Amino acid sequence: MTRDIHPGNQQELGKIMKTPTITAAALLTTVTAGHCEQLIVNSYGGPYEAIIMERIIKPFEDKTGISVVYDPVGSSSQDYAKIKATNGRPGFDVVVMTASQSLDGCRDGLLEKFTPATVPNLEKLSPAINKIAGECGAVHELQYMSLLWRTDKLKAAPSSWAALFDSELKGKVILPTFQNIMAANLMQVLSVQNGGDLLNNVDPGFKAMAQLAKQSVGFEQSSAVMETYVKDGQVWAMPFWNGRAQLLVDTGMPVDYIKPVEGTIPLIATLNVPVGTQNKEAAMKFVNFFLEKSSQEAWVTGYKVGSARSDIDVPDAVRAKQITTEEDLDKLLLPDLSIMAAKLPEWGDRWEREVVHAAN
Amino acid sequence: MTIVATDSPAAPALRRFALRGYVPLFPPFAVLLLFFAVPIGMMIGISFQDPKTAQFSLGSYQRFLTDGLIIAGLFRTILMSGLVAICVTVMAYPVAYFLARSTSRWRAIVFALAIAPELAGVVLRTYGWLIILEDRGFVNDALIWLGLVSSPLPLAKNLFGVVVGLTHVVLPFGILALLTSIQGIDPNIEKAAQILGASRLSVIRHILLPLSIPGTVSSLLISFTMAASAYATPALLGGARFKVLATMISEQIMFYINWPMAAVMAIVLLVLMLAITFAGGRVETRLHKKLNV
Repeated sequence: MTRDIHPGNQQELGKIMKTPTITAAALLTTVTAGHCEQLIVNSYGGPYEAIIMERIIKPFEDKTGISVVYDPVGSSSQDYAKIKATNGRPGFDVVVMTASQSLDGCRDGLLEKFTPATVPNLEKLSPAINKIAGECGAVHELQYMSLLWRTDKLKAAPSSWAALFDSELKGKVILPTFQNIMAANLMQVLSVQNGGDLLNNVDPGFKAMAQLAKQSVGFEQSSAVMETYVKDGQVWAMPFWNGRAQLLVDTGMPVDYIKPVEGTIPLIATLNVPVGTQNKEAAMKFVNFFLEKSSQEAWVTGYKVGSARSDIDVPDAVRAKQITTEEDLDKLLLPDLSIMAAKLPEWGDRWEREVVHAAN
Repeated sequence: MTIVATDSPAAPALRRFALRGYVPLFPPFAVLLLFFAVPIGMMIGISFQDPKTAQFSLGSYQRFLTDGLIIAGLFRTILMSGLVAICVTVMAYPVAYFLARSTSRWRAIVFALAIAPELAGVVLRTYGWLIILEDRGFVNDALIWLGLVSSPLPLAKNLFGVVVGLTHVVLPFGILALLTSIQGIDPNIEKAAQILGASRLSVIRHILLPLSIPGTVSSLLISFTMAASAYATPALLGGARFKVLATMISEQIMFYINWPMAAVMAIVLLVLMLAITFAGGRVETRLHKKLNV
């Protein structure tokens, strides 16, 4: 899932290439550092890696003296599969996943529970967001499902999800496959927009999605691939995580993104510690450090995402596009992820039968 | 062996000698046991668990047998693999024959070209096919430019695209299977038939094809099993509508976190491949008997 949120397949390839290097680096560090504490942090490659190294890991190493080995191998679903397969001993101490995996891991007893005693900065996070991620997830980043559009193709800037249904966008929309969580989130948002709700009455959402499928050029699982349709002009509008949308804007492409008026669903990224980690204390220090006010400010301005801390100081330009205030947090549509996870198989079947089947 | 095990004074020595013959088999046997049999056993165990409670349950098997989408995925897997097996074998045969019989200097080049696709990774090759076959790909652009079609043909994100991609991936294995078989046929038999007046077509039909049945069956079986278990090509070239068991297994593990369902699908895939292999062997034997070769 998060493979789709963060950089694409070339970077995945880069991750694979890096595996032996990381192992070698970890061994070398162990041998040369002697008693030096060492932490293995698993996250993503590409731009994410460069920013986290500069804004979080280097300052953490400078402050604590703990050396960090960065492991960019695997998407969050792959990381969770690894944690599950190894019964909580995946070979890394801290991992970046999402709130869904945090809940699953907590339920399965595979992730450490955080408390204000072990991670004091947890108390600074929005209680509503914190609650969604459960006891085993420390929310370090918020993105939201935005509506990305080509500024050179659409006559006027959209403001609502309803824009996706305009005749102007016939054959100019691309949709995620159901294996990209954006698909379920879009269905839920459309459900609310059409008189249903987020979890129990989603019939209006599926009906709207079937209609939207007729409007689309097709489905793609990977956000990296979806992005290529927008880049080459085949697609003029689509749902997209705003962190990745911002990266596109930063490249100078004629695109922009909005938070539609009906509201949207966030992607809640979490830091997690597997139960079998050997460096529990250092792992907790890292999690707490990432949630520090200064770290959150550095992360929000560096990676251009939102934060569950509403007391951070960030430039107005960043604040305008990101979730950074109590007001922003209040406007989010927040489904119960446990109930949603239980409904995914049923929704997946409906998606195949009603949405994919309706596509051209 | 049982005859040796008598009261003869040489019996213990002979038994030791016979046992020593099995010693080289122990390491591969241990590796297979540890890395194949044990995981398969674990997979079978997981398939009988309830996804939520991990208690014993036949629910995943029941769902497999009653869920129309999953059954459709199974039939799609069989159709795709069957088509790939046929395409590979038909295309591999003339290449293998050329490689087996030719003495020209082109032989080495053709052999290198036949094997060359294996030098590039399967993902790389599949992306290559995507660029060629997609709506704005090379083929559609060329057809539209030539005025042969007005809108892009559906060449990718469907069965056609996957069969093309997988045929390319599996073709070298088909060639190698047939090459070994054709090389085993004495070329003098073909020459003798031609001297006695048989046409070239008659030689192929009555001598070459019957004698190369083992290679043909091997090519079909290898191609079928490789296609049935392929993940990357169906995932990339198949699109949202074309789901096969391999891609559905990945979905169950990574997205739904439903390992028991994934295990059931994997077991069905394994049984399917074993059944096809068994049936292939039976067909080969029957053909041999029928054709008296």
